[in-house]
Amino acid sequence: MVIAQRILDIPFVRRSNALRSFVVAAWLGWQIESNWADPFLFAIYSIARPIAGVLILVVMYSVITNGALEQPIFAYIYLGNALYMLVGQVITGVSWVVIDDREHYRTMKQLHTTPLNHYTYLLGRGVARLIIGTISVLITIGFGIVAFKLPIVPAAIDWPLFIVSTGLGVICLATMGLILGALTMMMARHFWSLGEAVAGALYLFSGAIFPLETLPNWLRPLGYIFPVTYWLEVARRSLLGPNAAGFPTLTAFSNEGLIAILSGFAVVLSISSYYFYRWALHQAMEKGLIDMETGY
Amino acid sequence: MVLLLYARGAVCLLEVDPLLGVKSAVGRCTVAHGFCFLVTILTKASRGTTIHGLYVCIAKRECSEKGRRELTDDPIKQQSLTGHLEQRRVSFSQDNRGYMDTSLAIQTIDVGRIYKLRGPKHKGDPKQVVALKDVNLEIGRGELFGLLGPNGAGKTTLIKILATLLLPTSGQAFVDGLDVTRDMYEIRRRISMVSGGETSGYGLLTVEENLWMFARFYGLDNKTARERISAMMEIVGIADRGRSKISDLSTGLRQKMNFVRGFICDPNIVFLDEPTLGLDVGAAREVRGFIKQWMHDHPDRTVLLTTHYMAEADELCDRLAIIDRGQVLACDTPENLKKRLQREAIFNLKVGPLGPKPSRESMLEAVPGVRQVTVVQKNGHTDLNLILAAEDALPGVLMHLSQRGSNLISLEKREPTLEDVFIDLVGRGLDVDTSHDADEESDEHS
Amino acid sequence: MNTAKNALISSTERVPKARGFKLFWITAWARAYPRIVGTTRERSWLFFETVLPLMGVAAYVFVYRAINAPDEYIGFVVVGGAMTAFWLNVLWSMASQLYWDKDMGNLELYVLSPGPMMAILLGMAVGGLVMTASRAAIILVAGSLIFRVSYQIASLPLLILTFGVTMAALYGMGMMFASVFLASGREAWHISNLLQEPIYLASGFYFPVKAMGFWVATFASIIPLTLGLDAMRQLLFSSDPTLGFLSVPLEIGILIFLAVFFIAGAGWMLAKLEEIGRREGRLIERRR
Repeated sequence: MVIAQRILDIPFVRRSNALRSFVVAAWLGWQIESNWADPFLFAIYSIARPIAGVLILVVMYSVITNGALEQPIFAYIYLGNALYMLVGQVITGVSWVVIDDREHYRTMKQLHTTPLNHYTYLLGRGVARLIIGTISVLITIGFGIVAFKLPIVPAAIDWPLFIVSTGLGVICLATMGLILGALTMMMARHFWSLGEAVAGALYLFSGAIFPLETLPNWLRPLGYIFPVTYWLEVARRSLLGPNAAGFPTLTAFSNEGLIAILSGFAVVLSISSYYFYRWALHQAMEKGLIDMETGY
Repeated sequence: MVLLLYARGAVCLLEVDPLLGVKSAVGRCTVAHGFCFLVTILTKASRGTTIHGLYVCIAKRECSEKGRRELTDDPIKQQSLTGHLEQRRVSFSQDNRGYMDTSLAIQTIDVGRIYKLRGPKHKGDPKQVVALKDVNLEIGRGELFGLLGPNGAGKTTLIKILATLLLPTSGQAFVDGLDVTRDMYEIRRRISMVSGGETSGYGLLTVEENLWMFARFYGLDNKTARERISAMMEIVGIADRGRSKISDLSTGLRQKMNFVRGFICDPNIVFLDEPTLGLDVGAAREVRGFIKQWMHDHPDRTVLLTTHYMAEADELCDRLAIIDRGQVLACDTPENLKKRLQREAIFNLKVGPLGPKPSRESMLEAVPGVRQVTVVQKNGHTDLNLILAAEDALPGVLMHLSQRGSNLISLEKREPTLEDVFIDLVGRGLDVDTSHDADEESDEHS
Repeated sequence: MNTAKNALISSTERVPKARGFKLFWITAWARAYPRIVGTTRERSWLFFETVLPLMGVAAYVFVYRAINAPDEYIGFVVVGGAMTAFWLNVLWSMASQLYWDKDMGNLELYVLSPGPMMAILLGMAVGGLVMTASRAAIILVAGSLIFRVSYQIASLPLLILTFGVTMAALYGMGMMFASVFLASGREAWHISNLLQEPIYLASGFYFPVKAMGFWVATFASIIPLTLGLDAMRQLLFSSDPTLGFLSVPLEIGILIFLAVFFIAGAGWMLAKLEEIGRREGRLIERRR
């Protein structure tokens, strides 16, 4: 709370409704995500789940290739899967807020009667999941370096490229989450999260765990319309450095080209998510769905 | 035979519902029963209990199960059988527990409830809250009994204990002759509960569907459930909303639906926890009218009502208990409670704004003859509600007010109300929230 | 007011109520009803619960294709992917549903009613089967067609028996998980979350569990799906029985034992954790 208060005291933050909403939402999101268990259980959750997820692929790979972990395709699969955790966390983290506020905490109507900027509020609520996702990614990559000798050398990482691409990637993921959150406003609460379902589906088209060239020709173009594909590619290249050349993918795109595409996606998704959210909110208000209860 | 007896006893001990109702000469025995027996033996053996002690334990439960099977919904039969059951229970008891008066619908003996506080604590923060302390109540069958108290007094906690949702930390409680700590499954067949502001049910279902679902949980057959739902909905005035989804209902209509749910299952005892919360004046009147009529039509049924609306308690209750900070301060009929104050004189004064707060010696409470005073500052004037030992204390009060620079606007003498009784007992009005008061147990290491 | 209806409520005649076995089944079907109705009234699940999971499963198929795995591994993924539907049903629409019910105030009313909690949980599971079965069927049928999976079924009766016993054990285990929610809140929710990927890994959803090594596979066998999947794969892809962990009859025997153990254990745990919940006031709390 102290950190949030200090940020809110900054004059331009205090004056801006959007920033204020974002900061308060980020604080609230962190309180919710971090307040549920003792630190030990939280640590287990943050470590065990991502590592188990990546080990599924490691075992699958090992069974077929008899443990040929030194092959460049292994690093491709491992890194793709590790980085993809951020996709699920951010998309779900932003979209699930609607269900959380509407059905669990029942604060939706109270929130919508305040002068809050609801767009940045949703984004802010996703910050906690972004932090948790980042920790998971780092733990998983670290585990891969130690246990499986992933060819990642910290000195060889292209840090500027990695940071810029990840920043743009997170913007794309957050705005995708916002679009799904807007959709969720008009849907019932089911047992699964829309964000997780979409993230699971995108696994197929994003080149996360296999090169896009593996897909049939008629499916391949779908991989090029999602920003996740480009983010994963440039993130892998920046982390692996020269070792990325061992298993080249999306060779038609240079690093600069990928960054440009990601930037374009970030702009387009930011604008379209804003207007889609406004439309969905209007629809929800018109149909009286803001505080609907839909459990079954 | 001994082994089979042990197996049946093991079922009772673990209170596992029979999954397959295959009746045999010695009762219902399934593979699950045998399994439970093994688990029981292992559990008990690990605690070092002797075989004899195990047998006694099982035999106690054997009485319970037999008594349970024999009990029907007939209250007369219940009463005689429950008395018999309780005598047998006491004769097997090894810890001399209290004896339940089976003519009572509800009985509490020194019931206490302490909540431990969880979460991050700062130095000096309370570690626990005493919600109830030494509550002793006896509610007869056919009584409409009220619990009156401010927010945080412990009314809902007591109801939750009696409704078997919460265990008392100390003491004993009996509902319809059964112990709330041990016989909860049988108690639940005979009670229902309606809380104010409930949000239960499923938003995608209609009102009728939600009510039907809960009726089925009580074992009502389809036809009976639908008939009773239809009848109750008409009585409370929501018959035209039967096909509406509950997420489309207003707060008041939803509360009416909750009310219907409480009565369709034909309970022996109904717990109403602020049932008129959220209802408009007309609807609240209808609900109160229904409760009175239902009690009149079913003289063997009992209602325990909690409220902080004085008028509601006054109108409905045969007897009521005033509860504050977890303790019962008084328990009697509304008339007798008000008679306590007949000796006193009660005045409502409207005076000009009072001057700055004086020293303790100069306060209004220090004026001779003033028993209790409630001060409410309003816009431009002050309302004083005075309980005086006698009328001749009034001049002293007026002189005091004059010395404080306040002029008298109006004066009214009135008959005592329940609120006066409450103020007399507690020293403050009913609208003062006591939910944050805690019996602090300071950290020994601080 | 309709005097006949009024007379019904004011009548002193006691309403007959079911007990025991009959009450159990009435309660189960009553709780299944909202689930069944919910799936028909809110149909947004039709796309998200069928097409998207199929795409997720397809991703694992293409991983195997990328590393040139034998064809039966594609079949493993399709079958494993179909069975994830049941695991998720147990985890989210049964066990964790009590977390939502506690929030809505329904849990109190369930506990208060004479209907057994096991019946309520069974009703949730049965009611959710519409969605679950659709998900599993789409993945199995569409997956088999799209990826040209060929099956050599060794014994259809044995396959059905294996599936049935696996489901019984799995749902029994789910009831045990659900009991945790009687005494816990958000911690239990996150434990359910925690159980997703590790169970996929340990139970061999996408690869033969034998690959995990003897001891890991043995410990993982406590999860009914581990042996259930392994047995079903051996019966469906009988071309290479060496991929199985244990023999099919042994696995079925263990599954029967697990079914009995979990169902009995569920009854015990529900009672015990309800008692803890009542003692500590957690049944009625709606925090976090």
